[in-house]
Amino acid sequence: MTREAEVVRSLVEMADTLVDDYDIVDLLTGLTDRCVSLLDVSAAGVMLASPSGGLSLLASSSEAMRLLELFELQAQEGPCLDAFRSGEPVGQEILGPGSGRWPLFSGAAVRAGFKSAVALPLRLREVTLGALNLLSATQAPIGEADLIVARAFADLAALSILQHRASSEAQRLNEQLSVALTSRIAIEQAKGVLSERAGIDLAEAFARLRAYARSSNQRLTDVAQATVDGTLDPHVWVPPAGG
Amino acid sequence: MPGDRLSRILAELSDGKGRWPAARLCEVFPRIAGVEGAGVMLMSGDVPRGSLCTSDDVSRLIEDLQYTLGEGPCIDAYQQDAVVTEPDLADPETARWLAFTPPALQAGARAVFGFPLRVGTVRLGALNLYRDRPGPLGAEQHADALVLADVTARWVLETQAGAPDGVVAKALETEADFHFAVHNAAGVVSVQEDISVTEALIRLRAFAYSNDRLLADVAQDVIARSLRLG
Repeated sequence: MTREAEVVRSLVEMADTLVDDYDIVDLLTGLTDRCVSLLDVSAAGVMLASPSGGLSLLASSSEAMRLLELFELQAQEGPCLDAFRSGEPVGQEILGPGSGRWPLFSGAAVRAGFKSAVALPLRLREVTLGALNLLSATQAPIGEADLIVARAFADLAALSILQHRASSEAQRLNEQLSVALTSRIAIEQAKGVLSERAGIDLAEAFARLRAYARSSNQRLTDVAQATVDGTLDPHVWVPPAGG
Repeated sequence: MPGDRLSRILAELSDGKGRWPAARLCEVFPRIAGVEGAGVMLMSGDVPRGSLCTSDDVSRLIEDLQYTLGEGPCIDAYQQDAVVTEPDLADPETARWLAFTPPALQAGARAVFGFPLRVGTVRLGALNLYRDRPGPLGAEQHADALVLADVTARWVLETQAGAPDGVVAKALETEADFHFAVHNAAGVVSVQEDISVTEALIRLRAFAYSNDRLLADVAQDVIARSLRLG
């Protein structure tokens, strides 16, 4: 298969994944592996901005890369951070120990066997979500075709992160709605139970459930559930003497 | 253009003040999708929870029948996570809901359609549409209904996002029928028959089914103590 066909296949496979429930770390680790196999680079890593604005490491193609990216975060300098802060691609930079744009990062990168670096922001319109780091063991210039493919991968990574966030949020809200409805239903069932046990109407049953929850300092939902389960002593709802 | 369709539908749903009351959703759905009536059913864990809104009596019955019988277009659309179309309920060749179909036909529904409500991989329920004459939805209507289902699903979650934890958003409840009376009745029956409420719900459903009645009506009789199961 030609490289072009491999690239297209990778993009299609990853886009397919987005339709289903997917693990974001798994997906992006796969993306860094594809960067290494399809581009002329030795290692790739994805960093993601947290809600507080700081970057954290999300996926790496190798353990050496993982350690280097952790170093980058610790030292607060390096290609990923620059791409994230500026929202613009960081063109290929030749790495030399203790010199250049990022003296600390370069030293560590060279010790890990890397000689040049490129970074691309993960962007969707005006929002920068993180950055994709590509490191190479040579100083050979990265080709224009490789950069175009890398940009496509970075865009797909940005999309998958956004979609994953939206999906987790939807999941959370749907569960919240479901829990809220379930507790409402437990209260309605408890009203029925109590009305039959005490021979009172539903409104009076509700009033007694609430009064009991308040006086015993419990949540109404918990009292309702215990009523339905039959684990609460029915005597607790007997109205006060003379009441 | 898909974007044009969405803009047009959003403009029709808005009440002019940028709000979408639930009542308005079901009120304008039939006109947009070119059908007689519409309803929105919420489901979770494969069980119908109730209706968010219905546009008319037939739609309400279509939802109540599904709630009572556990079968119908919304339930299939939700469980199969796919659009369900039944262009002619009266066609004996395609009869797929044995209990749902006769009363739905009798009420005036001839074609029924179920569109799943989903946001990403999250499934919330289904939009149902009905027509009083046989025939499939046109391609345009089908496309509009997909957008309506999508917009409704997002609206449900966005609305719930504004509610405190553990509480159903008020705006979701205004037009909704979550069948609370059925749960009151299940509580009553559980004491009368000394069974769990889950079993009581099953007994209520079975009674409604075998007496050709809606669960909601049976529940009212149980609450009024004019009916006792067992």
